[in-house]
Amino acid sequence: MTARQSAVAHALVRAYGPARLGAGVPAPPGMARLTRPDSTGEALPVWPDGATPSLLEEHQVTPVPVERSGETRRVLAAVLKCCWTDLSVDPWPGDPAPVELVLDTYRELIGRTDDLMRNWARGALRRLHDSAWIVLDDGVVLLGPRCALWPVEAHAQLQELVRRLPEPERAELTVVGDADIVAAARSGTSDPPPDDMVEIVPESAGGGGRVEGGAAEFDDLLGGYDERRRAELVAAFMVVEHAAEPVQEARFAALRDPALRHTLGEMLARRGRTLIQHRDRWTSGYDDGVAAAIGALGADGLPETARGPLGVSERAVLTLVLVHSVAIPRAEGLLPEDSWLSPHPTPVEELRRHTQLPIGELESALRSLRHAGLLGQVKAGEEAGGYVPGPQFHRLTPAARRRLQEELILAAGPNTPLAAAVLARRSAR
Amino acid sequence: MPRVSVRSRTLEPVSEQPLTLDSVLTDEAVLSTYRRMFAALARDSGAVVDDPALVDIAETLFAAFAEAGEEWLTHEQMRFACRAYPTDQFDNRLRVLKGLGAIREVFPKPNQLRYRASFTSVVGLMFIRRMMDDGGQSEMHRLLALEDLNVADPRTTMEEARQSALNLARAFRLWALELITLTTGTIEELREQAPKLWGTEEIARRAQSLHGTILTRWPELDRVCTDLRAAIYAYSDASRRAAGRLADSAGTTRNLTLLPTETWRTFAQTASRERLAAVLDGFVFDAPAPWHDPAAIARAVDEAPRPAPAQPTPPRSTLPDPGPESSLDSSPSAALERLTQMAESLLGDASRVALADVLGSDWVAARRVLADLTTVDLRPELPYRLVWSDGLSVDPDREPAWLSHGYLERAS
Repeated sequence: MTARQSAVAHALVRAYGPARLGAGVPAPPGMARLTRPDSTGEALPVWPDGATPSLLEEHQVTPVPVERSGETRRVLAAVLKCCWTDLSVDPWPGDPAPVELVLDTYRELIGRTDDLMRNWARGALRRLHDSAWIVLDDGVVLLGPRCALWPVEAHAQLQELVRRLPEPERAELTVVGDADIVAAARSGTSDPPPDDMVEIVPESAGGGGRVEGGAAEFDDLLGGYDERRRAELVAAFMVVEHAAEPVQEARFAALRDPALRHTLGEMLARRGRTLIQHRDRWTSGYDDGVAAAIGALGADGLPETARGPLGVSERAVLTLVLVHSVAIPRAEGLLPEDSWLSPHPTPVEELRRHTQLPIGELESALRSLRHAGLLGQVKAGEEAGGYVPGPQFHRLTPAARRRLQEELILAAGPNTPLAAAVLARRSAR
Repeated sequence: MPRVSVRSRTLEPVSEQPLTLDSVLTDEAVLSTYRRMFAALARDSGAVVDDPALVDIAETLFAAFAEAGEEWLTHEQMRFACRAYPTDQFDNRLRVLKGLGAIREVFPKPNQLRYRASFTSVVGLMFIRRMMDDGGQSEMHRLLALEDLNVADPRTTMEEARQSALNLARAFRLWALELITLTTGTIEELREQAPKLWGTEEIARRAQSLHGTILTRWPELDRVCTDLRAAIYAYSDASRRAAGRLADSAGTTRNLTLLPTETWRTFAQTASRERLAAVLDGFVFDAPAPWHDPAAIARAVDEAPRPAPAQPTPPRSTLPDPGPESSLDSSPSAALERLTQMAESLLGDASRVALADVLGSDWVAARRVLADLTTVDLRPELPYRLVWSDGLSVDPDREPAWLSHGYLERAS
């Protein structure tokens, strides 16, 4: 695998979730291979020097916000309690458990039994599924690939947590035993999955597996630096990749010092990423060439990943928010900054009433866009408020920003000379 | 183009709108168009109105005249129609309009009280308003359409066609020059003047068709037509270059201003789901990948909002109950008295007793007595002391099984 292919593979995982690997196919460099007994597997990037995004907390940098974080994490704890049955081995892959058992465990944990709690827990399960922390399939829950990224040092803490979570009180005689539900679900995976489940859990799901490899590929770049600089590089790498907002240059030596910044750029390039500067702040984004390569893959050429690109209704809603929060305020002269972020929320009513999108589609698109950090919700009183472009728009390269502007102009004013100029310039290249 | 300094003017509450920097800028843009339009006619550079409201007065007046019918209007009626404007502005306008013949006496004789309006001026005003909208863009369209009809008319002479071609060539050349200057000037100015670029394709096409008509009918006008053709190409080229420069300078969102708000709204409201989605085709965004650290999970579990457990409050009497508070004697001497009493009861008549004899075998009671005796010993004002010897007797059958030997004595 060339460096370029590996960079594209890393970018694909960042864009669409953990990659599926066929039997015996090795993971790209810098990724751990989560191997199933039938030697298929999933690949997931690992971070240099055993760092995790928790590093951001040490540097007091805000990570990408987690929607309803407390609830989501409590539900994840309940899943862990149900799936990690043998505490003497690593949590991943664990054993499959029925969703009902997870919900009972969660109920026992928070001491509430109402329907609202149940809906919230289901929402949290869906979000965990979307972000590959768990795999939800046909009434059965499994630990997802991301659980394999918990550092070994932290397993003790998780064991202690699992031990002190209360066992749910369940009626002695359930109609169908837990083991039967799991067995039925596993044998039934050859049926087509329901519409909302893109996932097809392989036959071997939950039947064991092991984590292979998993060393970041930066040793040749980092080897020349002393321990302190190496740590500074790793910190800057984690921070630009995982912070919600661009971080201040002054706070990180590897961003201040041009030589270190160059190495940081090389590290990012191996992941298909590039440094993006906003005055004295930095973040990272997809390298333009890599993004174009991914864009050119098309739906058929995409290797199997957990999620796939944004759906039509998600993209449509995102475009609408860009028009209402950026293009219109811009045209009215209300937006001084040359940026795709905006303080002008798009009212939900505007989206509901004055667009061609069905309401059901709109709501679910808003939910998944919010979860991905593509939209931010602005709350103001009971009725006011709405949506603004989310923190991901910090991560667009200047070329991507320009292209976004051009695409919007081509779509909204296809007959203007400006659109003609855009097209002429593109064909000239 | 003559630069005109805006003369100082009094700020009157002409309209309801507050005078903001924006409205001043808009006014200035309107005025500059007026000045440019009438530059050819003006006697001196101060000859054009210096407040857009003055044009509104004229328009209001013409509208009133149109309503009036054959009786036309008296001075008072005109003043009434323009009641929204201050008197001095109205008088100024009326004087100018009368002076230039836009408003005239119905009959030219002294003490004439009724006035009529000129048709030419009204048409002129309509033209002004249209010019305001797009800087002459639509006029150029109309002009070209008319010229097209003219040259096709069998009565048109070759001389007229030559004149027409020459005029058009001159207009296009000037237009192209203006665009070229804009293209090499600041991007802000180019952006501001961008509406002049809209519809250029259409205008160039019309001009070319006109050029074709003239050339076919009068091949001898070849030279003039070459000039016209060059001017049209120059204009098309300049317009393309200006648009290209705008697209290049795009920065990242600035060009969004180049489409009017209404275009954006229409797009948002009418575009289909697929057309909207197509905008973001090929853009790569991150999948949701929040990090759930083990410590954060443990913290979330600890912070789980637990409902308060059901704890029934103990039953209480409805009668007021102050409790046994009053039975406690809290005076400072009470404690001393009690301790003296206890020591005396243990000593009786003796001056010294062994503790082993007085404590008894009930350790629970004994340790309380022992605690009191220790208190007695530590209070110098009480005349009793505890004295301990080094011995220790052990007897598994007794209670307490370990016994140190001590004595309570009266202090001398």
